[in-house]
Amino acid sequence: MMTEELLKNRAEFEEKLRKLIGRPVLLIELDLFALPCGCAGITANMRGLEVDDLDVFEPQILPLVKEMAANLGVKPTVTFARLVPGSSIVASLNWRTLCLRCYPEFARGEGKMPRPDLYMLMFERKK
Amino acid sequence: MKLFVPSPGHIDSLKELLTQKEKIYSIFMAGSPDYIGTGRSNLASPQLEDIAAQTEYAHKNGVKMELVLNSSCMGGRQLTPEGYRINHWYIKKLVDIGIDSIVVADPYLVETISRDFDVDVVVSVLAFVDSPQKAEFFEDLGASSIVIDSNVNRHFDVLHAIRDSVDCELKLLVNEGCLYRCPFRYAHFNFFSHAFGPEPRPNVLDDYYYLKCLELRVENPELIIKSPWIRPEDIKLYKDITDVYKIGGRTHFVDWILNCVNAYHNESYEGNLMDLLDCPKDLKDLFYISNKSLDGVLEKQWKNCKKVCNKCGYCRTLTKKVAQVYTKGGTEQEALAPWETFSVKA
Repeated sequence: MMTEELLKNRAEFEEKLRKLIGRPVLLIELDLFALPCGCAGITANMRGLEVDDLDVFEPQILPLVKEMAANLGVKPTVTFARLVPGSSIVASLNWRTLCLRCYPEFARGEGKMPRPDLYMLMFERKK
Repeated sequence: MKLFVPSPGHIDSLKELLTQKEKIYSIFMAGSPDYIGTGRSNLASPQLEDIAAQTEYAHKNGVKMELVLNSSCMGGRQLTPEGYRINHWYIKKLVDIGIDSIVVADPYLVETISRDFDVDVVVSVLAFVDSPQKAEFFEDLGASSIVIDSNVNRHFDVLHAIRDSVDCELKLLVNEGCLYRCPFRYAHFNFFSHAFGPEPRPNVLDDYYYLKCLELRVENPELIIKSPWIRPEDIKLYKDITDVYKIGGRTHFVDWILNCVNAYHNESYEGNLMDLLDCPKDLKDLFYISNKSLDGVLEKQWKNCKKVCNKCGYCRTLTKKVAQVYTKGGTEQEALAPWETFSVKA
């Protein structure tokens, strides 16, 4: 790690998404992040990915999302897409290992879209 | 040829740009967003002392300095007594500094600046001058130069009609890659005008217009082909309309700007057309469109195009022929593949 792995994973994830949805979408920036609250994870800023793609291909996208997290050594509590509310635009895909403070915010949300800008792909509830 | 070249706005970039001063007629940059603002995003907000220092440096090097105050929406503030006073104060300072020209989009500012100040007033591309009638209107208001709406860059009948209707200078913005007849244009520039204008500024998380524009073009690069950019090689076809050209791109690195300057100065570019387009810069890592593969297309097809795309299909066919997509970008396996390889919607 790190930069070579990031580059490789960016390219592979983009390639797999393109083959899946039949369109040359662009993963314009793949970031590993850490927040002051204690959350950490991955952000994939997307161009050309649409909400309909998530609706239609979610079962096929989920394994790709899991593979990316495993490849980069991130164990996300939540994986979600960030949308531009009221539009077809998927701005980014996000894998986040939640801190104790942020976990309840996500855990209290319900449904696929607990907020207008969030489309939930996976959520690991605490037992 | 007179080339108007963008500067990101600080003295270091100006110095680097003017290493090629023999190719540059004028630099243009935004001023401080605290007064009038601009219709595009900015990297810098030079204060009056910075503008004065940069203007002096440009003049010492034989290059003119243009300030861009082309906000497309000021929320009516320009018509209030306080707005009038502040704007007049700011423009007087710019004129005292020795700015050669000021670019504005608002007709009121065209008239008031040309009446009250001894400075060239340039009508911004954001005033959307796309007809001889509009050009005459702005010339009558006092404009000394008009940047023609880039939507008509390939409408030679309109360009000639504008040329025949006014005596003032005409400028063509050569490398704007915006959508042809972009439906976001007014809303997007109004948004920018507030985001890069005086307080209060909107706290926006995502620029819908930009992201939607990219989404459309990622899905269909034919929209890039149809954008009204002018290739360096095609400048020669415009010489009976004007010899004044503006390169867009004040949010880019100087190296990128100089690459454009050289391409347009030499009227030739070997490489990816996407390298030259100001917007959408995000897509240069997705598409490769050989600039040279478009040799002759303007002259043979677009110059006389009726713009009835659903009955023509020329640009669709051309896109399939020339648009390539980067695969495995950023790795040792990076390669180019025909766009059609990926597109089930083609």
